[in-house]
Amino acid sequence: MQVKQVLCSWKLWLGVMVLAFLVLIPFLGIQGGYLQTLGFLTFLYITLSTAWNILGGYAGQTSFGHATFYGLGAYTTCILALRGVPILLTIPIAGGVASFYGFLWGYPCLRLRGQYFAIATIGVGEATRLLMLNLDDLIKNNSLLKGFLQKGVLTGGATGLMLPTPEDIRAYATGFYYGVMVLMFAALGVSWWVKKGKFGLGLFAINMDIDAAETVGVHTTRYKILALMLSAFMVGISGSIYAQYVFYIDPQTVFGFPMSIAMVLMPIIGGIGTLTGPILGAVVYIVVQDRILTANLNLGFIKLSLSALHLLVYGGLLVLIILFEPKGILGMHRRLNNWLKKGKVGSLITAGKV
Amino acid sequence: MSYGLTLIYGVMKIVNLAHAGVMMWGAYFAFVLITRLGGNPFLAPIVIVPVFFVFGMFLQRYIVRRVMGAPPISSLLLLFGVWLIMQNISYLIFSGDTKAITTKYTLLTFQLAGIPVSVNRMVVFIVGILALLALRQFLGHTYMGKAIRATAQDSDASKLAGINTSRITEIAFGIGIALASLAGSLMALIFAFDPDFGRSHLLKGFCIVVLGGLESMIGVALGALVLALAEALSVLWLMPAMQDFVSFALLVIVLIVMPGGMKGLVDRFFSK
Repeated sequence: MQVKQVLCSWKLWLGVMVLAFLVLIPFLGIQGGYLQTLGFLTFLYITLSTAWNILGGYAGQTSFGHATFYGLGAYTTCILALRGVPILLTIPIAGGVASFYGFLWGYPCLRLRGQYFAIATIGVGEATRLLMLNLDDLIKNNSLLKGFLQKGVLTGGATGLMLPTPEDIRAYATGFYYGVMVLMFAALGVSWWVKKGKFGLGLFAINMDIDAAETVGVHTTRYKILALMLSAFMVGISGSIYAQYVFYIDPQTVFGFPMSIAMVLMPIIGGIGTLTGPILGAVVYIVVQDRILTANLNLGFIKLSLSALHLLVYGGLLVLIILFEPKGILGMHRRLNNWLKKGKVGSLITAGKV
Repeated sequence: MSYGLTLIYGVMKIVNLAHAGVMMWGAYFAFVLITRLGGNPFLAPIVIVPVFFVFGMFLQRYIVRRVMGAPPISSLLLLFGVWLIMQNISYLIFSGDTKAITTKYTLLTFQLAGIPVSVNRMVVFIVGILALLALRQFLGHTYMGKAIRATAQDSDASKLAGINTSRITEIAFGIGIALASLAGSLMALIFAFDPDFGRSHLLKGFCIVVLGGLESMIGVALGALVLALAEALSVLWLMPAMQDFVSFALLVIVLIVMPGGMKGLVDRFFSK
């Protein structure tokens, strides 16, 4: 009975169809791989957004410093790969390094509460970016650390690092398309598991009232650090995969503040602290970004490139969401649903009366 | 800049991320006034400050007040959104190029005890000091100033004492924003700027505020001194590019190690 009900539900079939379409994208080859790259980025950003949501949504610790993990993941992969470590092996290492770094600054910073934590993370993010920009020059002057340089380069300063391009780039890209898809499902699985389990319950308790959580026996600092490390691990892996996909990284792109902003915006737009919210947020973010960056507004007398508008749109969206619908798109959906149901029930009652 | 932050934080317990945006707008406003309309660079703040005071009050009345009762993180995110909007409006209007204001005063210097001093920097310094003195006088000796301080100490109690706290909050927010724009327009005379200009200054402003203790005015001046010293020393010992790194690292360390700022440290030291 129940199985039959599930099989008949249109939602299941819609899900299966969407999934089949996503799996088949590389074979369809629509618009010369454009859709595939878009899909790759969407999956990557869903992973990032889900990872941020574990700390920012479940535990309520707003971090503006997640780009540090992304950048560290990317840099770990590049540095190790250029020194001859097999590139797939660098992925878990990148996650580990990011996670360790999360522990390093999370341990002191997570003792701060609410807004102070947010400010401190902006500081950490900017400091890390500047450190990576100048690391080479710093090491050059130090006789002890000189051994880390290879041909005088570790992080490459502002020029960044480059990975060698493989021969069959199409197959390579397709491989990564599926790889990141698996990664996304793994991230969602972890997120679901955290949310269902005792760990997630502890995080939600911290979010609601940290003092009360401590009183009932939640080890709040440890929980927060674990959440940060878990989140950092996922972001680090995403960074590593990004580096392997585009072959080129520099501190401004992977450590830049816009990266951190993106990770804050996506879950909030979609619906903070939920499982599906970050997915929606990331899809909206990537698709809107893709459309806006290539669009031109023709007003007859002036041609306006909309690329400058792209963060403006998100800023506006953020303000509107916080003012009117703190639960994001999901909250809006729920409200709409309630309204529709009310409308239906209302009409049924009137129909009954007649 | 830091004084504006302290004022807003003290009164509203809100960390204002939009400050960076206001500062950047102040700089661009000065840029337009001076280079396009041919205004005198030192008189530009007279126009800018009232405009931003009104802007700040507007912001508080129609936007920020809606989240006053909500958890502090939502107001932080809200103002962050406002900042993003402001930043990108200027990208749209002025493009991302770095701008600088050059006037006939820019290269002018005079001799002070044998050392050449830039007229520009001197005037900026004096205006800054004057603004601080005026603020101190205002907060200490007028009814409005006292009401602002009372609201900062205990909002509910001052409401009971007959203070229109929502009005006072609006005015304090306006003053805070106006101070940020003043800082922006003054800095525009000295430094080059682009739409991203406020961010590092915002962080430094926070660093100063936290160093000085979050609600004390003298502490803020002390904090500014310490930060300036730390930056100068980092140029000497490390390398010039690491100057900002030092101030951000200092911010994080201070936030963690001494949340009461230097005042808290001194208090702790004496109580032992």
